[in-house]
Amino acid sequence: MANGWSLIIGLIVVVIFCGVSWFASPKGENQTVWRSSLILSAWAMFLMWAITFMAQWHPLISPIHNSLRPGYD
Amino acid sequence: MDKSSIPMRSIYEFNNILAAPSASEIDELSDRCQSLESRISSLNESYETLKKREVELTEWRWVLREAGGFFDRARGNAEEIRQSIDDDDDAPLLRDVEQTGQGDNDRSFGAMNIGFVAGVIPRERVAAFERILWRTLRGNLYMNQSEIPDQIVNPETNEGADKNVFVIFAHGKEIIAKIRKISESLGADLYSVDENSELRRDQIHEVNTRLNDLASVLRNTKQTLDAELTAIGRSLAMWMVIIKKEKAVYQTLNRFSYDSARKTLIAEAWCPTSSLGLVKSTLQDVNDRAGLSVPTIVNQIKTTRTPPTYVKTNKFTLAFQTIIDAYGTAKYTEVNPGLPTIVTFPFLFAVMFGDFGHGMIMTMAAAAMIYWEKTLQRSKLDELFSMAFYGRYIMLMMGAYSMYTGLIYCDVFSKAMPIFNSMWEWPSDFKEGDTVYATRADPGYTYPFGMDWRWHDTENDLIFSNSYKMKLSILMGWAHMTFSLCWSYVNARHFKTPIDIWGNFVPGMIFFQSIFGYLVFCIVYKWSIDWNAIGEPAPSLLNMLIYMFLQPGTIETPLYKGQAGVQVVLLLMALVCVPILLFLKPFYLRHQHNKTRALGYRGIGESSRVSALDDDEEDASGSGSGTLTGGRDSIGDDDDGAALITQDIGHGDGDEHEFEFSEEMIHQVIHTIEFCLNCVSHTASYLRLWALSLAHQQLSIVLWKMTLNIAFGMNGVVGVIATVCLFYLWFVLTVMVLCVMEGTSAMLHSLRLHWVEAMSKHFMGDGVPFMPFSFKILLEEEPVE
Repeated sequence: MANGWSLIIGLIVVVIFCGVSWFASPKGENQTVWRSSLILSAWAMFLMWAITFMAQWHPLISPIHNSLRPGYD
Repeated sequence: MDKSSIPMRSIYEFNNILAAPSASEIDELSDRCQSLESRISSLNESYETLKKREVELTEWRWVLREAGGFFDRARGNAEEIRQSIDDDDDAPLLRDVEQTGQGDNDRSFGAMNIGFVAGVIPRERVAAFERILWRTLRGNLYMNQSEIPDQIVNPETNEGADKNVFVIFAHGKEIIAKIRKISESLGADLYSVDENSELRRDQIHEVNTRLNDLASVLRNTKQTLDAELTAIGRSLAMWMVIIKKEKAVYQTLNRFSYDSARKTLIAEAWCPTSSLGLVKSTLQDVNDRAGLSVPTIVNQIKTTRTPPTYVKTNKFTLAFQTIIDAYGTAKYTEVNPGLPTIVTFPFLFAVMFGDFGHGMIMTMAAAAMIYWEKTLQRSKLDELFSMAFYGRYIMLMMGAYSMYTGLIYCDVFSKAMPIFNSMWEWPSDFKEGDTVYATRADPGYTYPFGMDWRWHDTENDLIFSNSYKMKLSILMGWAHMTFSLCWSYVNARHFKTPIDIWGNFVPGMIFFQSIFGYLVFCIVYKWSIDWNAIGEPAPSLLNMLIYMFLQPGTIETPLYKGQAGVQVVLLLMALVCVPILLFLKPFYLRHQHNKTRALGYRGIGESSRVSALDDDEEDASGSGSGTLTGGRDSIGDDDDGAALITQDIGHGDGDEHEFEFSEEMIHQVIHTIEFCLNCVSHTASYLRLWALSLAHQQLSIVLWKMTLNIAFGMNGVVGVIATVCLFYLWFVLTVMVLCVMEGTSAMLHSLRLHWVEAMSKHFMGDGVPFMPFSFKILLEEEPVE
C-alpha cells in the first residue's frame, strides 16, 4: 500500500494543492497572506510527513518488547 | 464627583468615539463646562456650609447632653454637702472638683469663680490634650469626658472620626482662657453650655429643631447636587475624549510650518501610497464642510530620505508581525519576514509540542478566545491572560499544527493512536517475560502516516525516535535556513545591489549547501537505501561528516560510489567561497568608488559639509513626528532652506561618497566570520527541536504513569474513587505543566529560532516604524478614566 511511490504521490498532491491555493485564495488585500500561509504550511506539513515516512522506509532496527503478554495484538 | 461616588458611564457605550471633532463641538463644550462648573461649585459650597453647620449642631447637641449628664451626676452625689455651702448650682461641682482634683487646701479658695469649658475633641488627641492641660495648669483642673458613640463626619474631607465630649472645670478667668486656647489649638470645637439645667433643656430643644430644619435643607441640596452630577457623569467620558482629540489635533497643527509669503500652513507627512486617494478625498470633504474658499492642496514630494516602514496588519497577522517588530523594524520595502512567520513560527513550535491531545486543548482555548473576542476585548484582563489573548491567533495556529505533529509522532496524551495497520508484527509464540522482536509484516509496506504505533512502550523506542527526531530537526532547520537565506537574494534584487548577490548570497549559499546541504542529502540518501537487503553496513553519518573535514578523501564505510571525490570537491567549494565572501564586496565597492572619482564627480555634501545641519538632530525630529523637513520647493524664503536641500541630497547619496574602505572591509570580515560560524552553530541550534519534543513526550509519559496508570491498577470502589481523583490531578497537571509551561518554553525556543537562526540570514531591520496620527491609537495609549 504504502511504499516509495507514496513520496512521489505525496509530492504531486502538495504541488496540486499549492496550485489550487494560489488561484483559489480569496481575492482582496489578504490574498498574499492566504497564498503564502497555505502554500508554506502545505510544504511544512509535507516535509514533516515525508521525513517521518522515509525514516521508517528501510528501518535498520525493529521494535523490541520485554513485558509483552501472549495473546496481545 | 469621587466624593459622592457617582459612576461614570463607560466609554464603550459611545459608538462614534473615533469621529473627528467638529469645530463647534469644542466651543459648545467649553460654554457648557463653564456654566456647569459654576453651578456645581456653588451647589457644592452651600452643601458644604450646610453640612458644617450640621456637624457643629450635632456636636453641640452631644456636648449639651453629656455635659448635662455630668452636671446631674455631680449634683446627685453632692446632696449631702449642699447644706454646708450656699445654694448655687456650682457648689456641688466645686466639691467634686476639690475632692478629686485639688485636695483640701484649696477648698475655700475661689469658690465663686469656678468656670468651665465644654467641647468636642478627636479621640486620638485626648491623651495629649489631657497631658498638656495637666502640665500647663499644674493639675488645677477637673476634667470629665465621654465618648460619642457615632462617628462625626467632616464634610470637607468626607472622613469620619471618633470624637470625645469633654467638660473641664477650673477656676480663675486666666486659666479658663488658657484652657480655651489650648483646646482650640488642639483642634477641639468649643460650645457654650449653660449651667442651668432649665436653660440647657431649652438649648437642646432648640438645637434639635435647628438640626431637623437643616437636615431637610441638606437633603434637598444633596438631591439637586446628585442629579446634576449624574447628568454630568453620563457624558463626562465623552467630553474628555473630545478634549483629548482636540489637544492632539492642535499639537499636530503646531508642527506645521507656516509659509508667510502665501499665508498658508504647510504640513508634511508620510502616508501609504495606497491611501493617498483617501487622504485627498477626505481633505476635500473637510474643505467642503468648512466652506473654505481656499482649497487644500496635496502634493507629492520627491525625497531621497528613506520612508518609514508601514506594514498593514489585520487582527490575524497583527500578533505575528509583533513578533518580528519586537526584533527590529524592517527596512523600507525590505522583505517582511512576518509573512512566512505566520506558518513557520507555529510550525516549529508544533515540532517541539507535538501531541494531539495537548494541541487540541490549545486549539480549543484559542478558539474560545476568538469566539468571545469582543467581550474579552472590553473587559480588563490580567497581564498573563491578556498576553495569551493578544496572541490568540498564534495559539490557534500553534494548536492546529501541534495536532498535526501529534498525529505524525503518533502521540495523544502520550498514548499511541493505531490509525492504520502497523508495519510491525509480534511473533505469536512466546512466553511471558520473553524478549520479543517484531518483524515486518510485509517488506513492501511502510506505515503510511507518521510514526508506527507499535514503537510505543517498546524497549528501543527511544533509540529509534531519537535518531528520527534528530534528523528531523536537522532537515527542518536546513529547510528553514535555506528558505530564509533566499530572502537575502530577493532583498538584493529589490534594492538593486547585485554585489550583494555575488558577494554575499551566492558564496554564502554554496558554503552552506556544500556542507549542510550535503549532510541533508546524505541523510535522505541513507534512508532511501535498504541496507539490510543489499547486505552492506549502514554508514554513520556523524563520523562521515567529521572525517570529511579531518581527513578529506578517506571513507570508513562508503555511502555511495565516488563518495570520496564528491566530498573533496564539496569541501574545496566551501573553502573557495570563504575568500570570495571576504573580499569580493569591499573590493568591488572600492573599485566602483575609484571609478566615479576618476570621472571627476564629487559629493555635494563632501565639500560643503559645514552648511549641513546635524544629521542626527534632523532625524530625531523627523522620525518623531512623521514629518520631514527637506527637499521641497516652497521653502525658498526659509533661512536654512538651502542648507536643508543640500543636506538632503548629501544624505541620499551618502553611501557612495562617504566610502571608506577600511570600514567596509571590517564590516565584511565580521559578516564572513559570523556567517561561517553561524552555519555550524545554527544548524546545531535546530537540534533544540529534537530535545524539546523528546522532553515533552517523556514528561507526558511520566505524568500518565504517575497518575492515571496507578488508578487503573486498582479494583472495586477504591479503583473508582482513585480513578476520578487521579483523573482530575492528571488533567490539571496536563493543562498547567504540559500545555502552559511546556507551551511557553517551546514558544520561546521557536521565537529564538526565528530571531536568531532565520532572521540573521537576511534581515536588515534598520527601518523606522510608521507612526500615523490616529485618534484610535491616541485613546488606546492614554485611555479616558
